[in-house]
Amino acid sequence: MSSDKKHPKESDIIKLLEGDSSRRSFIKNLSIAAAAGSAALTTGCIPSLAEASTEEMKLRWQEFFKKHYRLMTQEEKDAAVGRLERLAKLENNLDLQMGSEPPIDGVLYGYGFNITRCTGFMECVTACIKENNLDRKVHTQYIRIFEMEPGKLDPSTGDGQYYHEVPVDNKFYMGTQCFHCENAPCTKACPTKATWKEPDGIVVVDYDWCIGCRYCQAACPYYGRRFNWGKPEIPKDEINTKQHYLGNRIRPMGKMEKCTFCIQRTRKGRLPACVEACPTGARVFGNLLDPDSEIRYVLKHKKVFRMKEELETDPKFWYFID
Amino acid sequence: MNRRVGLCFLLLLSACIYGSFAMAARKSFMDEVRESEAPFDNRTVPLEKQVIEETVVTMSPNNDEFFRVLARKKQIGRYKCSSCHTDKPVKARQGLELTHSDVVLQHGLGGRALVCIDCHHREERDYLEDKKGRKIDFDHSYQLCGQCHFRQKRDWLAGAHGKRVANWAGERVVYNCATCHNPHSPRFEKRFPATYSVPLD
Repeated sequence: MSSDKKHPKESDIIKLLEGDSSRRSFIKNLSIAAAAGSAALTTGCIPSLAEASTEEMKLRWQEFFKKHYRLMTQEEKDAAVGRLERLAKLENNLDLQMGSEPPIDGVLYGYGFNITRCTGFMECVTACIKENNLDRKVHTQYIRIFEMEPGKLDPSTGDGQYYHEVPVDNKFYMGTQCFHCENAPCTKACPTKATWKEPDGIVVVDYDWCIGCRYCQAACPYYGRRFNWGKPEIPKDEINTKQHYLGNRIRPMGKMEKCTFCIQRTRKGRLPACVEACPTGARVFGNLLDPDSEIRYVLKHKKVFRMKEELETDPKFWYFID
Repeated sequence: MNRRVGLCFLLLLSACIYGSFAMAARKSFMDEVRESEAPFDNRTVPLEKQVIEETVVTMSPNNDEFFRVLARKKQIGRYKCSSCHTDKPVKARQGLELTHSDVVLQHGLGGRALVCIDCHHREERDYLEDKKGRKIDFDHSYQLCGQCHFRQKRDWLAGAHGKRVANWAGERVVYNCATCHNPHSPRFEKRFPATYSVPLD
């Protein structure tokens, strides 16, 4: 009864899971054995095995047992991305173009925010929501803009929920988001190593490795991280189909997410959506290792400061004054 | 007893010295940033999005390097100006009614408010003119703006004012002054923000 003729699917599954011998593959084999055993008992009435024949189940199966992003080879990353594209097509009829572009050599991203120029129009926030497929239902935002009293430099003293004509005289505006710390406390707090700093300085999350414990959120002194309490809801025609594995792909429920400096754009030479949308040019983005870059000019010639510098988190996000 | 105190003191001192060395040895990524003086060729980065807008090479270089700026002339509705401003005199009243009544001049403060010919060329209407009498092309209006707003121009040349178009990499293309600012009323108008925020969690 365990001949290949009777259960051709079973051998298919084993074939596609072959290749490595680790604890994970041991668990995989265990579960295959269990599935095969139960199938034998009920002689083919088990829907899981029947569905395993469908392409969707096969892909989901492979997705479930894939490796951590940092342990994957580029071929495995490409395969994972291909699977996610195909799954999106099968499940939601979406034509995605997902990438897994590696960091560019000799590039370390840095960000400048001009507090004299920002006028609080919040164009950056709307651009970010659209670009990064943020949940429209609970109104998730990576960027927050605070209306500040003169002389104050801590956003927690500002008004983060203003809605009136801006700019108001004698107020200034200060934006916060993930600051991509060099010495990031969130990455140290993560018990599953699902979040880490990439070589180009971007702090990213492997959404499939995140268990949603929110330790990173508690560890972040800048309130830079967001949690998906529910399944993100985005109108289908507003979904940004240009995605990155570590970036704006739609996060499932119960995962942490955050600003990634628009990794899907910046690794292809583009500016983050917030910089591109800013109508006043208050946002500066560039390569810190390039002595001729805009961000280096800002660091050299402007009065710059970083938030909560005494914590020694070394953010790559500077506020500056004209 | 004295010797023991001396020993303790010595130990403490050496600990302090060692500690300060350890502090100095801890490297911040900023050291790496400061030390990286080797030029980075932005053009080696493959670009996903090319700049499709029409651009011109700037007349003013930044660190001896010429970059590109968004062209303006095609964006100006009634350019070329010389198609109306011919040799024949245009009656000022008629002209204002027909063509430029939409222009609200709010440039310059108080008694030093600007008038048309402060920037526009007196005779050749297809050009601007600065205070030295230089004829300035509409595509290169930053030359004109920079005569008063020289700090902004200095920052703009290097990238701390204004912004690049689409890409941080590739050939440097930046917004022109008048792409963002209305030259007749350069201050951004007050308006409602594009969205609103709800409390975090």
